[in-house]
Amino acid sequence: MKKLSVVVAGTGQIRDVEMQPGTTAGDILQQLNLRDYLLSKGPNEPFFAAAESVYDKVKDGEKIFASTKAEVGELERCA
Amino acid sequence: MRIKDIGTRSAPASIRGFLSRVVRGQGPAIAVQRREIPYWQERGWTRNGNVYTGSFATPYEAFFGHIEEHRGGHIDFFLSNPSHQIRGHSHWTCFQDRGNHWYLVHMSRQPRDVSSGILTIERLITDAYEV
Repeated sequence: MKKLSVVVAGTGQIRDVEMQPGTTAGDILQQLNLRDYLLSKGPNEPFFAAAESVYDKVKDGEKIFASTKAEVGELERCA
Repeated sequence: MRIKDIGTRSAPASIRGFLSRVVRGQGPAIAVQRREIPYWQERGWTRNGNVYTGSFATPYEAFFGHIEEHRGGHIDFFLSNPSHQIRGHSHWTCFQDRGNHWYLVHMSRQPRDVSSGILTIERLITDAYEV
Protein backbone atom coordinates (compact mmCIF):
# COMPACT_ATOMS: atom_id res chain seq x y z
CA MET A 1 0.00 0.00 0.00
CA LYS A 2 1.14 3.54 -0.72
CA LYS A 3 -0.23 6.80 0.56
CA LEU A 4 -0.82 9.64 -1.86
CA SER A 5 -1.99 13.23 -1.45
CA VAL A 6 -4.04 14.52 -4.34
CA VAL A 7 -4.12 18.33 -4.49
CA VAL A 8 -7.14 19.70 -6.33
CA ALA A 9 -5.39 22.55 -8.18
CA GLY A 10 -8.35 24.90 -8.34
CA THR A 11 -9.13 24.91 -4.63
CA GLY A 12 -5.98 23.62 -3.00
CA GLN A 13 -8.02 20.97 -1.21
CA ILE A 14 -5.91 17.92 -0.39
CA ARG A 15 -7.46 14.46 -0.65
CA ASP A 16 -5.47 11.68 0.99
CA VAL A 17 -5.73 8.24 -0.53
CA GLU A 18 -4.22 4.87 0.14
CA MET A 19 -3.78 2.67 -2.89
CA GLN A 20 -2.92 -0.88 -3.73
CA PRO A 21 -0.49 -2.01 -6.46
CA GLY A 22 -2.03 -1.56 -9.89
CA THR A 23 -4.21 1.41 -8.97
CA THR A 24 -4.73 3.56 -12.06
CA ALA A 25 -5.30 7.29 -12.49
CA GLY A 26 -8.85 6.49 -13.55
CA ASP A 27 -9.43 4.53 -10.32
CA ILE A 28 -8.28 7.47 -8.22
CA LEU A 29 -10.30 10.08 -10.10
CA GLN A 30 -13.41 7.95 -9.97
CA GLN A 31 -12.99 7.22 -6.27
CA LEU A 32 -12.50 10.91 -5.50
CA ASN A 33 -15.41 11.83 -7.77
CA LEU A 34 -13.19 14.12 -9.85
CA ARG A 35 -14.76 13.77 -13.26
CA ASP A 36 -13.17 15.79 -16.10
CA TYR A 37 -9.93 16.04 -14.13
CA LEU A 38 -6.47 14.79 -14.98
CA LEU A 39 -3.69 13.75 -12.64
CA SER A 40 -0.08 14.80 -12.96
CA LYS A 41 3.00 15.12 -10.78
CA GLY A 42 3.21 18.80 -11.76
CA PRO A 43 3.45 21.17 -14.73
CA ASN A 44 6.70 19.63 -15.93
CA GLU A 45 5.39 16.10 -16.05
CA PRO A 46 2.86 14.61 -18.46
CA PHE A 47 -0.66 13.73 -17.40
CA PHE A 48 -1.32 10.18 -16.28
CA ALA A 49 -3.47 8.28 -18.76
CA ALA A 50 -6.67 6.93 -17.23
CA ALA A 51 -5.47 3.34 -17.52
CA GLU A 52 -1.92 4.07 -16.35
CA SER A 53 -0.81 2.66 -13.02
CA VAL A 54 -0.11 5.52 -10.67
CA TYR A 55 1.13 3.15 -7.99
CA ASP A 56 4.27 2.36 -9.99
CA LYS A 57 5.05 6.01 -10.74
CA VAL A 58 4.82 7.67 -7.34
CA LYS A 59 6.61 7.34 -4.05
CA ASP A 60 4.85 6.65 -0.79
CA GLY A 61 3.49 9.92 0.59
CA GLU A 62 3.98 11.88 -2.63
CA LYS A 63 1.80 14.83 -3.63
CA ILE A 64 0.23 14.97 -7.09
CA PHE A 65 -2.13 17.43 -8.76
CA ALA A 66 -5.63 17.07 -10.14
CA SER A 67 -6.48 19.75 -12.69
CA THR A 68 -9.38 20.19 -15.08
CA LYS A 69 -8.87 19.33 -18.72
CA ALA A 70 -7.67 22.24 -20.83
CA GLU A 71 -6.01 22.59 -24.20
CA VAL A 72 -4.24 25.45 -25.86
CA GLY A 73 -5.31 26.01 -29.41
CA GLU A 74 -8.13 26.31 -31.89
CA LEU A 75 -9.50 22.99 -33.01
CA GLU A 76 -9.05 23.69 -36.73
CA ARG A 77 -5.48 24.91 -36.52
CA CYS A 78 -3.87 23.59 -33.39
CA ALA A 79 -5.39 20.28 -32.44
CA MET B 1 37.25 5.08 53.63
CA ARG B 2 38.49 5.14 50.08
CA ILE B 3 36.55 8.19 48.89
CA LYS B 4 35.67 11.49 50.41
CA ASP B 5 32.50 13.46 49.62
CA ILE B 6 33.55 17.02 48.84
CA GLY B 7 30.08 18.36 47.80
CA THR B 8 27.96 18.54 44.62
CA ARG B 9 27.88 20.80 41.55
CA SER B 10 25.73 21.01 38.41
CA ALA B 11 26.73 19.07 35.34
CA PRO B 12 27.30 21.10 32.16
CA ALA B 13 24.10 21.97 30.22
CA SER B 14 25.02 19.65 27.32
CA ILE B 15 25.21 16.65 29.63
CA ARG B 16 22.00 17.62 31.45
CA GLY B 17 20.20 17.93 28.10
CA PHE B 18 21.45 14.57 26.96
CA LEU B 19 20.38 12.86 30.18
CA SER B 20 16.91 14.47 30.14
CA ARG B 21 16.35 13.24 26.56
CA VAL B 22 17.38 9.73 27.58
CA VAL B 23 14.99 9.77 30.54
CA ARG B 24 12.03 11.48 28.80
CA GLY B 25 12.41 10.12 25.26
CA GLN B 26 12.09 12.51 22.30
CA GLY B 27 8.93 14.24 23.52
CA PRO B 28 5.58 14.54 21.78
CA ALA B 29 5.57 15.10 18.02
CA ILE B 30 4.23 18.43 16.80
CA ALA B 31 1.54 18.11 14.17
CA VAL B 32 2.36 20.50 11.33
CA GLN B 33 -0.71 21.72 9.47
CA ARG B 34 -0.69 21.42 5.69
CA ARG B 35 -1.50 24.50 3.67
CA GLU B 36 -4.47 23.91 1.42
CA ILE B 37 -4.14 26.69 -1.11
CA PRO B 38 -4.98 26.82 -4.81
CA TYR B 39 -2.16 26.18 -7.27
CA TRP B 40 -2.14 29.82 -8.47
CA GLN B 41 -1.49 31.00 -4.94
CA GLU B 42 1.11 28.32 -4.28
CA ARG B 43 2.97 29.52 -7.39
CA GLY B 44 3.09 33.10 -6.17
CA TRP B 45 0.33 34.64 -8.26
CA THR B 46 -1.65 37.49 -6.75
CA ARG B 47 -5.32 38.25 -7.21
CA ASN B 48 -7.02 41.60 -7.45
CA GLY B 49 -10.73 41.07 -8.03
CA ASN B 50 -11.03 38.96 -11.13
CA VAL B 51 -7.52 39.68 -12.33
CA TYR B 52 -4.52 37.53 -11.48
CA THR B 53 -0.89 38.46 -12.05
CA GLY B 54 2.18 36.31 -11.71
CA SER B 55 4.52 34.16 -13.73
CA PHE B 56 4.23 31.01 -15.76
CA ALA B 57 7.28 29.34 -14.27
CA THR B 58 9.15 26.35 -15.67
CA PRO B 59 12.64 24.98 -15.03
CA TYR B 60 13.68 26.58 -18.33
CA GLU B 61 12.26 30.07 -18.11
CA ALA B 62 9.50 32.11 -16.51
CA PHE B 63 7.16 34.52 -18.29
CA PHE B 64 5.02 37.27 -16.85
CA GLY B 65 1.38 36.36 -16.95
CA HIS B 66 -1.95 38.06 -16.57
CA ILE B 67 -5.28 36.29 -16.22
CA GLU B 68 -8.78 37.70 -16.42
CA GLU B 69 -11.66 35.66 -15.07
CA HIS B 70 -14.94 36.79 -16.60
CA ARG B 71 -18.47 36.35 -15.39
CA GLY B 72 -19.90 33.13 -16.73
CA GLY B 73 -16.66 31.27 -16.23
CA HIS B 74 -14.66 32.29 -19.31
CA ILE B 75 -10.99 32.87 -18.49
CA ASP B 76 -8.46 34.76 -20.61
CA PHE B 77 -4.78 33.91 -20.21
CA PHE B 78 -2.10 36.38 -21.32
CA LEU B 79 1.63 35.79 -21.54
CA SER B 80 4.28 38.46 -21.99
CA ASN B 81 7.32 38.34 -24.25
CA PRO B 82 7.20 34.74 -25.47
CA SER B 83 10.64 33.38 -26.28
CA HIS B 84 11.70 32.06 -29.67
CA GLN B 85 11.25 28.52 -28.32
CA ILE B 86 7.55 29.24 -27.74
CA ARG B 87 7.31 30.97 -31.12
CA GLY B 88 8.69 27.81 -32.70
CA HIS B 89 6.17 25.52 -30.99
CA SER B 90 3.37 23.92 -33.00
CA HIS B 91 0.83 25.84 -30.88
CA TRP B 92 2.32 29.27 -31.60
CA THR B 93 -0.63 30.04 -33.90
CA CYS B 94 -2.81 29.95 -30.77
CA PHE B 95 -1.02 32.99 -29.33
CA GLN B 96 -2.80 36.15 -30.40
CA ASP B 97 -0.81 39.41 -30.36
CA ARG B 98 -2.55 41.98 -28.14
CA GLY B 99 0.15 44.65 -28.31
CA ASN B 100 2.92 45.72 -25.94
CA HIS B 101 4.44 42.23 -26.17
CA TRP B 102 1.37 40.65 -24.57
CA TYR B 103 -0.22 37.58 -26.16
CA LEU B 104 -3.60 36.02 -25.48
CA VAL B 105 -3.25 32.25 -25.22
CA HIS B 106 -6.30 30.83 -26.93
CA MET B 107 -7.78 27.73 -25.34
CA SER B 108 -9.67 25.30 -27.53
CA ARG B 109 -10.79 23.63 -24.33
CA GLN B 110 -11.33 26.03 -21.48
CA PRO B 111 -10.10 25.00 -18.04
CA ARG B 112 -12.70 25.24 -15.29
CA ASP B 113 -10.39 27.18 -13.03
CA VAL B 114 -7.41 29.51 -13.21
CA SER B 115 -5.01 27.02 -11.64
CA SER B 116 -5.69 24.36 -14.28
CA GLY B 117 -5.01 26.94 -17.00
CA ILE B 118 -1.68 27.91 -15.44
CA LEU B 119 -0.69 24.25 -15.27
CA THR B 120 -1.62 23.80 -18.93
CA ILE B 121 0.37 26.81 -20.13
CA GLU B 122 3.38 25.89 -18.00
CA ARG B 123 3.25 22.41 -19.50
CA LEU B 124 3.14 23.90 -23.01
CA ILE B 125 6.16 26.13 -22.26
CA THR B 126 8.12 23.14 -20.95
CA ASP B 127 7.16 21.21 -24.06
CA ALA B 128 8.41 24.06 -26.27
CA TYR B 129 11.84 23.81 -24.66
CA GLU B 130 12.04 20.04 -24.77
CA VAL B 131 11.02 19.49 -28.40
